[in-house]
Amino acid sequence: MNNTLLELKNISYKYKNNLILNKVNLKINSGDKIALLGKSGSGKTTLISVLNGTIKPTQGEVKLFNKSFEELDRKQKSKITTIWQDLRLIEDLTAEQNVNCGLLAENNFYFAFKNLLNISSFKKAHKYMQLCSLHNSVYDKKIRKLSGGQKQRVAIARSLIQGSNILLADEPFNNLDPKLIKTIKNLLLENVDKNNAKKSQKTVLVSLHRLDLLKDFDKVIGIRDGKILFNIKRNNLKKLHLDKIY
Amino acid sequence: MNKLKLNYTSLSFLPILVCIPLGYQLINNIHFGGFKLFQEFLISACNPKIDNEIIITVINRLNETILIGFFSWLVSIIFGAIFGIISSNIFYKIFNIPNFFCRIIRFFLTIIRSIHEVVWGIVLMQIYGINFSIGIIAICIPYIAVNSKVFAEQLETIDYKRFEYINQINAPKFSSLLTIVWNPIINTFKNFGLYRLECSIRSTVILGLFGIGGIGTSIFLSFQTLNFRELWTYLWSLAILIILSGLIFKKIKFNTTNKILSIFFIAVFFITILFSFSYFLYFIFNNNFENFNSVSSLFKSSSDLGLFDFLKIILETIILSLLSTGIAISLPPILIGIFNNNTSKFFIKIFAFLLRLIPTPLILLILLTFNNPSLSLAALTLGLHNAGITSKLLFTNLESQNRRNYIAMKSLGISKKTSWLLGLFSQQAKSYLAYCVYRSDIIIRETAIVGVIGSIGLGWQLRESLSSFAWQEVTIVLIAYSSIAIVGELINGKIKNSLT
Repeated sequence: MNNTLLELKNISYKYKNNLILNKVNLKINSGDKIALLGKSGSGKTTLISVLNGTIKPTQGEVKLFNKSFEELDRKQKSKITTIWQDLRLIEDLTAEQNVNCGLLAENNFYFAFKNLLNISSFKKAHKYMQLCSLHNSVYDKKIRKLSGGQKQRVAIARSLIQGSNILLADEPFNNLDPKLIKTIKNLLLENVDKNNAKKSQKTVLVSLHRLDLLKDFDKVIGIRDGKILFNIKRNNLKKLHLDKIY
Repeated sequence: MNKLKLNYTSLSFLPILVCIPLGYQLINNIHFGGFKLFQEFLISACNPKIDNEIIITVINRLNETILIGFFSWLVSIIFGAIFGIISSNIFYKIFNIPNFFCRIIRFFLTIIRSIHEVVWGIVLMQIYGINFSIGIIAICIPYIAVNSKVFAEQLETIDYKRFEYINQINAPKFSSLLTIVWNPIINTFKNFGLYRLECSIRSTVILGLFGIGGIGTSIFLSFQTLNFRELWTYLWSLAILIILSGLIFKKIKFNTTNKILSIFFIAVFFITILFSFSYFLYFIFNNNFENFNSVSSLFKSSSDLGLFDFLKIILETIILSLLSTGIAISLPPILIGIFNNNTSKFFIKIFAFLLRLIPTPLILLILLTFNNPSLSLAALTLGLHNAGITSKLLFTNLESQNRRNYIAMKSLGISKKTSWLLGLFSQQAKSYLAYCVYRSDIIIRETAIVGVIGSIGLGWQLRESLSSFAWQEVTIVLIAYSSIAIVGELINGKIKNSLT
């Protein structure tokens, strides 16, 4: 059975005459836990932006659920979520309002209105914030008043609350201390709902710099100068591979 | 010989050169017939009429003014926000609508904005007759367009990445739009909304001079009957209203996290929209359009306006704007620079306050007591009124500025005036000029007010054409007036961009 969720076919992306992605081919299957490795400026963020449909490649084809992004409806598109490196939180909203923004796709206009007026229910938002080790004192604080680590966790909680099948994360462990990294990594790679006995086949692609975090991933992709140099099972990862990309 | 170096500081002073031709014409036009009246006007300022009857009149007239001002403000700020959203690029990005429509709406709003509320008021009064609601409508029309520009400019500052994130969540379009624009709209309202209420009250007063009602009408009537003591009672009561409202505005803090308050604001928002629409429909279908038929003669009526005369009044309007802008830019820094001590500053502040307080048509009428009507007199009036406004900004900025450089220069033995110029003003000159450029946009529009009274430019021609129901001429004048304002705005926009 073909369980490919996301597929990139011969993708190239040019920005101001610079080739950022160069003929990239990639298949992401359901349940894959992929670590994306590469130096800064190697094209990791651009690759993630192409995968989530934020930027259109100059050349090639992106398919989600075997359809191009143009063919997908709003609900289908919302099955993919991203934790951005620059977080992209709404600075003037509170932490709980930002987390609730993750629920906008499955709710109507009235929900957005109530969220902005602070009269919506924040129960679900608080649950996910607690999972990300964010506590009461942070809930109603504006984003601009939070520390880097707190902002990072708000962005993660906002992505998790979306309950999407595919999670793309661009260096999500920045600004986090070692204990929190472990907690957040478990959250990203496992099913969040602990009461749900049947684990969902969550698909995760995380860009990383720290090699000690690789052990829970199934696959490792190495990228350099916009080209995927290897796409292998984690167990097969050798120093030779790392030398190619660093 | 050393060449004069043009920098922001010298550019702030150079426009005062307009006073040379202006002063020459004013001196030639001086007459002594009204000096006694002028003297009486000044003395009455210290001896306003106070009795039970006038106090009751003042309260009633102020109520009318506040009512017209408040409703115009409420409607214009709400519709301004709505039009601001639909004339911002973010709206078209979210809904995937071609940006072409955005440009059409912006152009349409620019035309509406280019015509001063007094012009709207005079035209509407001619069509519908004098009516309380005409005042509200006349203020609302350009104010909606002005407010929409401010809101749209704020929405253009939204970080594109925020839009990308919301877009990527794939939320319903309206939810995305609301979430993105909410805070910029609320912040603009907090920073700009109350100032617009003050503007709305001032516009109500000016429209009152043309018969709309409120304290403006009483001011005009008492001036016509030369009852200066009564006139000053109205002016001082207006001053108290403006000072009090300023103090109240400073105290008001909008707390958007307060649920009850938020619900109240939203209720006001929807009720205003509903009420405005219902009133608009009522106005359209139930009004007795006494003179409306005359509009149909627009295409029949012929214009007696000769091309040469028409070009002459256009040129007059442009010169009037330039001269007034010159005074408004240079007079405040020159006065503050020369009279640079606390007592003088206090008197300059009072003088500036009076120039802001007394409506422009009234300043012109007062100056007419000892000078013949001329372009220079109209320019002086408009320039003085706007200098009152620019000097307020300059004082505020100078007082909030760090005085380190000024103190350091003075300690070196440099004179107080030079230290002020180089240590204080030079650091403010750029932002001051940028504000003056914005102010000159307003001056172009305000030429209509002094034009109507002072027999100058397009304002006067508009009044003449309206009184003879020459609608074709009215249309031509309005197009010319709007074109000057739009071209002026475009030029000023370029200058402003180079300054900021």
